[in-house]
Amino acid sequence: MATIVRDPSVPTQTHHEVTRDVVNTLGTAGRGYLLLLAGAVGLFLVGIGTFIMLLKDGLGLAGYNPPVFWSVFITTFVFWVGIGHAGTLISAILFLFRSPWRTAVYRATEAMTVFAVMTAGLFPIIHIGRQWFFYWLMPYPNQRWLWPNFKSPLVWDVFAISTYLTVSTTFLCVGLVPDVAAARDIMSGWRQKVYNIFSLGWKGTDNQWRHYSRAYLYLAALATPLVLSVHSVVSWDFAMSIIPGWHGTIFAPYFVAGAIYSGVGMVFTLLIPLRRVLKLEHMITDYHFDNLAKLTLFTGSILFYAYLMEYFVGWYSGNTFEQTTFWRRAFGPMWWGGWTMIICNAFVSQLLWFRKIRTNLTSLFIISIFINIGMWFERYVIITSSLGNDFLPFAWSQMNPTWADWGILAGSFGWFGMWFLLFARTFPVVAIQEIKEQIPYPRLRKGGH
Amino acid sequence: MRKLAFLGVGSLLLALGALAIDSPTPAAQAAQSAADTLPAWKLAAGDSGSLKGPRQPIFFRHDIHVGVNKMPCQYCHSSVAESSEPGIPTMASCMGCHLIIGGSDSSHKVEIKKLRDAWNAKQPIEWIRVHSVARHAHFPHMRHIKALGPNACQSCHGDVARMPQVFKVNNINNMGFCITCHLERKINRDCTACHY
Amino acid sequence: MSDATQPEGIDRRRFLTVLGVTGAGAAAVSGCSTAKVEKLVPYLVQSDDQIPGIPTWYASTCTECGAGCGLHVKTREARAIKLEGNPAHPVNAGKLCAHGQSALQGLYNPGRVKGPMARRDGGFTAITWDEAIALLSEKLQAAGGKLGVISGAGRGTFSDLLSAWTQAQGGRVVRYQAFDFEPVRAANQQVFGTSEIPAYDFAAARYILSFGTDFLTDFVSPVEHQRGFAESHGFNNGQMAKHVMLAPRLSLTGMNADEWIMLRPGSEAAVALAMANVILTERTGNPADANGLRTALAAWTPEKAQEASGVGAEVIRRLAREFASAQPSLAVAGGIATQHRGAIQACAAVNLLNYVAGNVGRTVKFGADLDAGDGYAALESLLQAMEKGQFAVMIVHEANPAYSLPKAGGFAASFAKVPFKVSTSLYFDETSHLCDLLLPGQHALERWDDLRPRRGVTGLLQPVMEPVFPTLPTGDLLLRTAQKLGGALAALSAPSYEAHLKTQWLKTLGTDEAWRSALQHGGVYGDTPVTSVKLAATAANVAYTAPVFDGDAGIDAFFFAPVPSVMGDGRFANRPWMLELPDPVTKITWHSWVEMHPETARRIDVREGEIVQLTSPNGTLSVPVYITPAIHPEVLAVPLGMGHTAFGDFATGRGVNALDLLDGKDGQGFLPYQSARVTLTRTREFKKVAKTEGTTRQLGRGIADAMTLAQARAGMTPALARKAEGHEVEEINTDREVEAIEGFRASQLEKRNIGPYAAEGLPMWGMVIDLSRCTGCSSCVTACYAENNIPWVGEEAILKGREMTWMRIERYWEGGEDGDPLEARVVPMLCQHCDNAPCEPVCPVYAAYHTPDGLNGQVYNRCVGTRYCGNNCPYKVRYFNWSAYNKKAFPEPLNLGLNPDVTVRARGVMEKCTFCVQRIRGAQNTARLEDRALRDDDVVTACAQACPSNAITFGNMNDPASRVTQAQQSSRGYHILEDLNVRPAVTYLAKVLHRSEG
Repeated sequence: MATIVRDPSVPTQTHHEVTRDVVNTLGTAGRGYLLLLAGAVGLFLVGIGTFIMLLKDGLGLAGYNPPVFWSVFITTFVFWVGIGHAGTLISAILFLFRSPWRTAVYRATEAMTVFAVMTAGLFPIIHIGRQWFFYWLMPYPNQRWLWPNFKSPLVWDVFAISTYLTVSTTFLCVGLVPDVAAARDIMSGWRQKVYNIFSLGWKGTDNQWRHYSRAYLYLAALATPLVLSVHSVVSWDFAMSIIPGWHGTIFAPYFVAGAIYSGVGMVFTLLIPLRRVLKLEHMITDYHFDNLAKLTLFTGSILFYAYLMEYFVGWYSGNTFEQTTFWRRAFGPMWWGGWTMIICNAFVSQLLWFRKIRTNLTSLFIISIFINIGMWFERYVIITSSLGNDFLPFAWSQMNPTWADWGILAGSFGWFGMWFLLFARTFPVVAIQEIKEQIPYPRLRKGGH
Repeated sequence: MRKLAFLGVGSLLLALGALAIDSPTPAAQAAQSAADTLPAWKLAAGDSGSLKGPRQPIFFRHDIHVGVNKMPCQYCHSSVAESSEPGIPTMASCMGCHLIIGGSDSSHKVEIKKLRDAWNAKQPIEWIRVHSVARHAHFPHMRHIKALGPNACQSCHGDVARMPQVFKVNNINNMGFCITCHLERKINRDCTACHY
Repeated sequence: MSDATQPEGIDRRRFLTVLGVTGAGAAAVSGCSTAKVEKLVPYLVQSDDQIPGIPTWYASTCTECGAGCGLHVKTREARAIKLEGNPAHPVNAGKLCAHGQSALQGLYNPGRVKGPMARRDGGFTAITWDEAIALLSEKLQAAGGKLGVISGAGRGTFSDLLSAWTQAQGGRVVRYQAFDFEPVRAANQQVFGTSEIPAYDFAAARYILSFGTDFLTDFVSPVEHQRGFAESHGFNNGQMAKHVMLAPRLSLTGMNADEWIMLRPGSEAAVALAMANVILTERTGNPADANGLRTALAAWTPEKAQEASGVGAEVIRRLAREFASAQPSLAVAGGIATQHRGAIQACAAVNLLNYVAGNVGRTVKFGADLDAGDGYAALESLLQAMEKGQFAVMIVHEANPAYSLPKAGGFAASFAKVPFKVSTSLYFDETSHLCDLLLPGQHALERWDDLRPRRGVTGLLQPVMEPVFPTLPTGDLLLRTAQKLGGALAALSAPSYEAHLKTQWLKTLGTDEAWRSALQHGGVYGDTPVTSVKLAATAANVAYTAPVFDGDAGIDAFFFAPVPSVMGDGRFANRPWMLELPDPVTKITWHSWVEMHPETARRIDVREGEIVQLTSPNGTLSVPVYITPAIHPEVLAVPLGMGHTAFGDFATGRGVNALDLLDGKDGQGFLPYQSARVTLTRTREFKKVAKTEGTTRQLGRGIADAMTLAQARAGMTPALARKAEGHEVEEINTDREVEAIEGFRASQLEKRNIGPYAAEGLPMWGMVIDLSRCTGCSSCVTACYAENNIPWVGEEAILKGREMTWMRIERYWEGGEDGDPLEARVVPMLCQHCDNAPCEPVCPVYAAYHTPDGLNGQVYNRCVGTRYCGNNCPYKVRYFNWSAYNKKAFPEPLNLGLNPDVTVRARGVMEKCTFCVQRIRGAQNTARLEDRALRDDDVVTACAQACPSNAITFGNMNDPASRVTQAQQSSRGYHILEDLNVRPAVTYLAKVLHRSEG
C-alpha cells in the first residue's frame, strides 16, 4: 500500500492530546526545573549586589579606561536587545507570511523577546553615572523648561526600547488569551485565578474569535516594523558618532541581521533543554529546529558579508583613522576579541549548510552557545576596540573588565532566566490554539483504508 | 547619602517622586506666606519659635529695623550692589547702633543684651541661614541690583519689612523661579550664565 | 535627591569662618536640597580690604626655589586660592612655574606640623609655644656657643638676622640649597676670578648651546630663562635663535633643542675646549686677551674631543663656526644633570668658549650675583665639626639634609652626635624625625619676610591670611629667644619679626609711604648692574681629564644619571599636584622609573615596566623600566626627589631615592650627582608604569605640526610645508561638503543669536597656542588644577587612564630611527570648543551644549553621565568622575584652597576645560557694573596667565582688533584634526625647526 508522505508541519496529535500535553507542562515543578530556577535567581542576586556597589562607589568599580567610556554594560545592553528580535521575527513576521512551522515555537520565542527587552531596558540605567537622574532622559513637563535633546541617539533609544517592550508585551498577552482560557477550564486553585485575569473573560464565541484574530493580525503587523526599526536605532547609537569603526553606513542592516542571528541562537539555547524538561519532543520537532537553523544560516551569512564589508570599507575609505582602527581590531591588542567574533559568527554559522548538523540537536546546541558568545564579543569588540584607539594616539588605551562588569553581566542572565523559567511553568509555552488549527478535521483512529 | 535610601526604594518610585518635587509654583508659596504678615512689632520675644522661618539665636526683628525704622537693606547687607555676595553685617556694625540703643521694652532689651554679651565675649553670632542657593548655581547679586534697583530685594526675599522673623517666601532653589523671571524680562537664559 | 558633592570632611564652620554666604561655589550640591542647617558666621570687625565675594590680591614673593619670582596671591574671604606671577617683577614678569603655583598645596598641606612639639620618651608630644621657647633658650644657654644652624632660607633680612643671632652666641650657620651651583662658581673663580653666579640673558642670544644644562627646569632661575628662551627661540617675524643641546639625556630643555647631540657623560669639557680652539684659530677679531689662550687651547683638537665624547670632529667644527658667527650667542653649563666629577672643568671650558665668542657681558652678565647659598663645602665642614661632636645644639631651618644628602655620607650618624636637635620645618620630614624639638615656622604666604635673589631686586613677603595652624614665624622665634637669653643677643630687641623687618626696610626706604608702596608692588626693583670681568691668570689651566666614576666599567655597567624631575630636590614630593603632574619628558606620574634606550633594552631583553635592580658600590635600587629613545645607550636615568621615608602621607614610601646609589663624601666642594656607575639585574617582576601617554608617535596625523625655518620665513602653511616635505596632502572636502558644513555653521550661529542674545553683541571666545614658543613645561597644567578645582586621582586611577587634567601636554617623538635625528613635539591639548562640536548633539539632556558666546558649555548639574560626549570627542579632552574624587582629593585643610567660583564636580558627571568661564562671567559682571564693553585684556585664562613662554593667547575672535584675532592670521596657523570639520576655536601655530640646512 502506498505510503502517505506526511506534511511535517501538521501535528500528529488530536485536539484533546494537544491541550493535555501543553497543560501538563504547567504541573508542579520537577527537580531539574527548580535547580535551573535557583541558579537563575542566584545570578540575579549577584547582579543586584553589584549594582548596589556601583551606586555606592560609582562606575569606577567597572573596568572603564578612558577613552573607553563605554564597555561591558552597553555591550550587554545591545546583546539583549538583539536577542529579542528573533522572537518578534518568528512570532510576528512569520505569522504574516503564514509560515506553518512557527506555531510550535513562537510562544516561547515571544516570551524570550519580552524578557530580553526587559533585561536590556535595565542597562541604560545601570550604565549612566548618576542613575538616580535617569528620568531626565524622558520628556516630561517641568518648571525648568528643559527637554531632552531629541537629536541624541540615546533619546531615540529610550523611545525605541520602551515602544518595543510595550508592543511585544501586548502581543504576547493577546496571543495567550485563548490558551490561558483553555488552561483555566482545566486548572483549579491559584492558577485558575491567574488565568481568569489573563484570559480576559474569554468564552470562545464566534464573535470573540472574529475580533481576536483581527486584533492579533494587527498587532503582528504593528510588531513587524519594530524588528527592523529598534535595532537600527540601537545601531545608530554608534553609527551617529564620528568614531572610526563606529560610523559605518552599513550599521543598521548589519546590526539587525546580527540581532536576529543572536536571537535564534538564544532560541536554540533555550528550547533544546526546555523541550526535554517539559516533555514536548513530539510538538517541537527536528522539523522546527531545521527551519530555525536555516534562518540562522541565512542571517549568519549576512553577518559574514557585513564583516567583510566593514574591513573592505575600512581599507577602501583611504581614511587613515578607519584603517588604523580595523588593522588594530584584527592585529592590535584586541586581536583575540576580533577573531573570536569572526570565528564564532561568520565561520561557525557556515557549518549549518550540512543537514546532519542542522538536525542534530547536540551540535545545534553547541553551535548556539558559540553564537551567543560570538555575538556578545561582536558588540564588545566594536565598542571597546574602536574607542580605544581613535584620533589622538597619545590618548590611546585598552580596558580590562573587572568583577563589577562580570557581576552585572551575570545578573542580567539571572534576571532573564528567572522570568523565562517562571513563565514556562506558569503559561502555555506552546500555542495550543494555533496547533489545533493546523490539525486536520478530527477523524477516528481506526479509520483509513 | 540620602541618595542611597532613595535608590533602595527603586528608581521608578524616585522618578515619580522627583516629578512631584519638581513642580511647586512660586506663586502658591507666596500666597500661603501672606498669612503671618502682621503689625509684628507687637510681638513678644518669647514666641518667635511659633513664627515662620528658623528661630535665630537672637530674635532679630527685620520688621522693626526695616519696617518701622525704615533702614535700607544695604545699610547692613552692604556688598550686595558690588559683589555676588550680599554679605551679612559685622558684629561691629550692629554695635554701631546698639551701643546706644538698648531697646524700648523688656523683650527687646533681652535680645539686645544677647548681642552686647556676644560682642564683649568677642563671639560672632551664628545666624541660621534662611536662603542659600544650590552650590552649582552662581547668583551674582550685584547684576540683579544693578538691573532692578536697590529695593529689588523683596522680589526674591519677600516683604522682609513685615517679617518679625525672616522666612523663605520663594523657593529660590527652584530653577523655575529664576527662569520665569528671566523669561518675562527676556533676559539671557544661557545655562552657563549661572551654572559653571 | 541631594547629591552632596562637598569635599569629604570639609569643615563648614571653618570654611565659612569669615562669612557664611561665601561657601557658594566652593562646594557643589546638585539637586535642590537645602535641608542641612547652614550657619552664617559674621566678622566681628570687617577688615576694610575684604569684600565678601570679591577677591583680594596681595603682592608677595615665591620661595619655592632661589630665583625669587614675584607673586600675586589671590585671596577670597581671607583664604589664598591662587598664585600668579607679579607682572611688575623683573625676574618672572607675571609668569610662574608649576612649582611656584604648587606652593598653595604646601600651605594647605595635611602633612604640616600643627604646633610646637618636643620629643618625650620616644614620641613627640605637643607643647605650648612658651614652653617651647623656654626649652630652646635653656638649651642654648647651656650650649654656650656650641650652636650650629643649617638653613635653607634664601638671602634676605631673615638670613641676616639668623647669622647675627647665631654669631652673637658664637655659633656657626650654613645656608644650604640641595641643588646648588658650586661647579659654576668654582669655574667662574678659576676663569674670571669671581665666584658669583651671573645672569644669563637668553632673550638676547641668537644661538644657544647647552652642555647638558636643563636651564628650563632646575638651573638658577627657570621662569626667567624660559621667558628669555621663548623670546629668542620662538619664531618671531622671520627670526629665531637656534638651540643645540649636547647631553647624554634629553631633558625638558633638550626636548626644545633644534639639534640634540648625544655625547658621552663627562666629556662636555673636551667638546667646549675644542670649539673654543676652533673659534680662536679660525676667527679673527677675537677679544685681545683671548688670544693668550691660543697656546693653552691648541692641544684640544676636535679629533681629540671626538674620541673623548663620541661627537664627530666635523660636527664640533660646524657648531663652533655657527656659534661664533651668531652674535651674540650663549653657551651654558652646570646644573644637576651634568654635576659629575668633571663639572668644574666643564663649566670652566664653557666659560672660555663664551669668552672667546665674546658673549661675556652680552649674554653672560656678571654683577647680578644670584643667590645660591653658602655652598656644599661650607656644609661639609659643618658636618665634620658635627661629626667631631662640636655642637651641643643644632637647628635645621627650611632644609632637609637627612633626605637630600646621600645616605652613604652618613649625615644621620653624625647628626645623632648632637645632643639637642631642633627643626623649624613646616612638615614632618626626614630631618625633623631625627630632632628633639619641633618649632614649625610659618609658610611664606603666612608670614612677613623678604628676599634678595640678586643685586637690584628685593622681594617682600607679607601674610595673605591667618596662619592655617598655630605656628610661629622663625624670625619671631629668634627674637623671642634673644630677649630671653639677653647678653650678646640683647641688641636684637625688636618686638616682632615684622617690626624688625620694617625697621630694616625703613633704613633704606625712609618713609612709610615708600614702605607701603613697596608692599604693594611686592618689593623694590632696580636694574641689575653689569660688571665686566677679565680673564684670570688661572684661566689658561683649564683642561679636560676624563672624570672618575665610582664602580668598575664593564660591558654590563651603565652610567647612572639621577635627573631632576617634577619633584625638584624632593621638596615638592608631598604635593598631590606635583605627584600627579606628568613628568614633562616621560609623562610618568606618582612613582620613580629608570629611563633606558631601546637598544639597551633589546640587548638585555627587558620590557617596559619590568622592575630592575640597579647596584652601585653604595647601594641598590629596585625601579621599573621606562624605555625611551631620548637617552644615551650607556646611561640609565632615575628621577630625583622621590623615595621619602617621611614627609607626609603623599610622599612617604613613594618611588625610590636615587641618591642612595651615590657616594656622599667627595672632596671637590660640591655633590657629584652624576658620578656613579651601576650594574643592572633583572627581577622578572613587573609594575605597570603610571604614565598618561598612550602611543608616542603621531602616525603622520599632523597633530603637533612643524616646519623648517625656511618654510616659515616663506610664509608656508603647515599643509604646504608638509607637501614640500613630500608627504601627500589629500584635499579635505569636496566643494559640496564644504557648502554643507558652512550652511550648518551659519544656522548654528543664527540660532545662537535668537532673542535676548542678539542684543548683547556677543563675543566668540577663542585661543591661539604657538608651538614654537611652548616648551612643554606644564606650568599651565598646574595653573588649571588650581583655578578649576580639578581633583587629583592617584596612581591607581592613573593606571586606568582616569586622570582629570583638563589641560594636558601631549608629547610625541619624531624621527630617531635609521639615522634621522630624534625630535620631541609637544602640544597642549585642551577642549577645542568646536563650533560643530561632536559632543553636543549626542548629549541626551543638553548638559553639553553650545553657548551663545561660542563656548562649548558643560552643565555639571544637568549631566547624568551617559559619557557619549566623551566617546564622541575626537580630542579626548572630556574627563569623567568615575568615583567621588571630589571627596578624596581635598582632605582638610587642602579644601581651603578651593576656588569658590568653580563648582566642585560630583561623582558621575562629565567635566572638561571651560575656557575659565568663571573668569569670563566675572569680567562680564564687572564690565556691566561699570557700564562698559569687555576689553581685550579683561579675560585671561589661567593657562594663558601662567605660561612662562607666552605661548597662549586668549580672547574674542569677533573683535578684529583683539590679540587672538591678530595671532590667528599667522600663516603657521592650523587646527588639529582639521579634516573632521569640527571647527575648533583653538588655533595652533606650527612649531619651527631651526635645522642647520634651514
